[in-house]
Amino acid sequence: MAASPAVLLPGDDIAPGSLPKGTGKKKTLTLGPGLRHTPPDTVTATVAGALLTDNKKNAASVDYNSGRYLPFAGDLVIATVNGSAAENFNCLLTPNTPPATLPHLAFEGATKKTRPQLPPNSLVYCRVANAGKHLPSELTCVDPSTGKGEGLGLLKGGMLFKVSLGMARRMLAAKGGITLLDTMGAKVGFEVTIGRNGLVHVDAGNVKTTLAIGQAIQEVDTAGIEEEGQRKLAVATLKNC
Amino acid sequence: MIEPTVTLTHLHRADGSATYTHNGYSIIGAVNGPIEVQRRDELPEEAAIEVNVRPSIGVGSPRERHQETLLHNTLRSIILTRTLPRALIQITLQVRTLPLEDGTTGVNSSLTLLPHLLHTALLALLSASIPMRTTLTAVLIAQPSSPAKNIVPSLLSPSAHDLVRSKPVRAVHVFAFAGDGRMLLNESDGRFSFEEWNEACRMAEVVCCGEEEEEEEEEEEKDGGGVELEAEGEAMDVDAQAQKESLDLWLRSVVRRKVEGEQRWRRAT
Repeated sequence: MAASPAVLLPGDDIAPGSLPKGTGKKKTLTLGPGLRHTPPDTVTATVAGALLTDNKKNAASVDYNSGRYLPFAGDLVIATVNGSAAENFNCLLTPNTPPATLPHLAFEGATKKTRPQLPPNSLVYCRVANAGKHLPSELTCVDPSTGKGEGLGLLKGGMLFKVSLGMARRMLAAKGGITLLDTMGAKVGFEVTIGRNGLVHVDAGNVKTTLAIGQAIQEVDTAGIEEEGQRKLAVATLKNC
Repeated sequence: MIEPTVTLTHLHRADGSATYTHNGYSIIGAVNGPIEVQRRDELPEEAAIEVNVRPSIGVGSPRERHQETLLHNTLRSIILTRTLPRALIQITLQVRTLPLEDGTTGVNSSLTLLPHLLHTALLALLSASIPMRTTLTAVLIAQPSSPAKNIVPSLLSPSAHDLVRSKPVRAVHVFAFAGDGRMLLNESDGRFSFEEWNEACRMAEVVCCGEEEEEEEEEEEKDGGGVELEAEGEAMDVDAQAQKESLDLWLRSVVRRKVEGEQRWRRAT
């Protein structure tokens, strides 16, 4: 890990030397959130954060952990059903934003005869199917290629906890999870669902354990606890379960 | 001039927030956005920006409406509004404390507050990660009227106390510069010649963007070690060693602290 990441402010040009060279298979450079391309070849930051580059994927983005969630296609999110229209549910990803649509038929095994009945305020784990800036974003609970739910759908029971967007990203990362949950999972059984929109749904069967786990996750987030500290926290939390 | 102190992202309910304290002025800024916009304010191609300025005492008056307009026009030129169409970016600035002498300085108090409001709004926007074209820095410059023939140097970012001491003040200027050195805002009040304005502008540019000829660390914004002030017939020495950095460097240090806080878990593993 680099000792001190390059700190970017909005409007800072990124030196061509610090962008990935494109030596891998992918020849075109991919710009992630927080970067803007001005033709012919100027790349400027639009938010404050640290520059992240990935040589293998030939991609660059700005890493920041604040602000409101903006939907991107492919993100796994926890949506709150706000109401039902003719063909779809209106869902909220973050409060006070225009609703995203979740079609009635985008559930596993749903047909025109057997539509899912979701009352307002129920929680749905879904994938962002497409997110354009000019249209309301569209959600789906099935994999379009297989038609299976793959773990997506209605979240029953449990409680919802708010975490920062960076924390949600970190828990969903390919390397997988945080030490806290691995350590605790060895002792108690629980189910955790993480939404990219900064929401974590915890269901441990009883309220006490659920609360303890949820609050431990929030503590790891706010205090930025490293692995060793997480193990200690897990032991302390297990005493309360 | 002492560096402003800043706390970033300390309000839990807002998307971005900042508390800014400088020279006795303390302002809390909160930014929410992009959020749903009222139908009548909706712009089909770009984000609407709403600025609310709340005074420390009482409810808003036309003075606050004027400040809101100035802030709105300045911020609209640095926020990338076209990336968030049909959305609203709501900026709320609550003035928490004003310096004791604020009412007795004899200069337009909406101008003395303006640079602080601009900085708070910018920091809250940075905290909310709203996409922006560039950053901004702003500074207040006061030109005391010179008795007889001796020329009194302009005051750079004076505190309310400085302004009271150097009464009567002939003109005050507020300049805001973008990160790339372009001027974003100029508000001037009082009597001044074009040369005086030019001098004030150059002075503000050095403070905001930093002087390019010199090394960044060696910047001096006031000539010599001290500035002579004429106040009620007595010359006073004001130490100008307190600040050697430009506001641009200050902003970078604030953002560096924010990034370090966010990356703490990454470094620990």
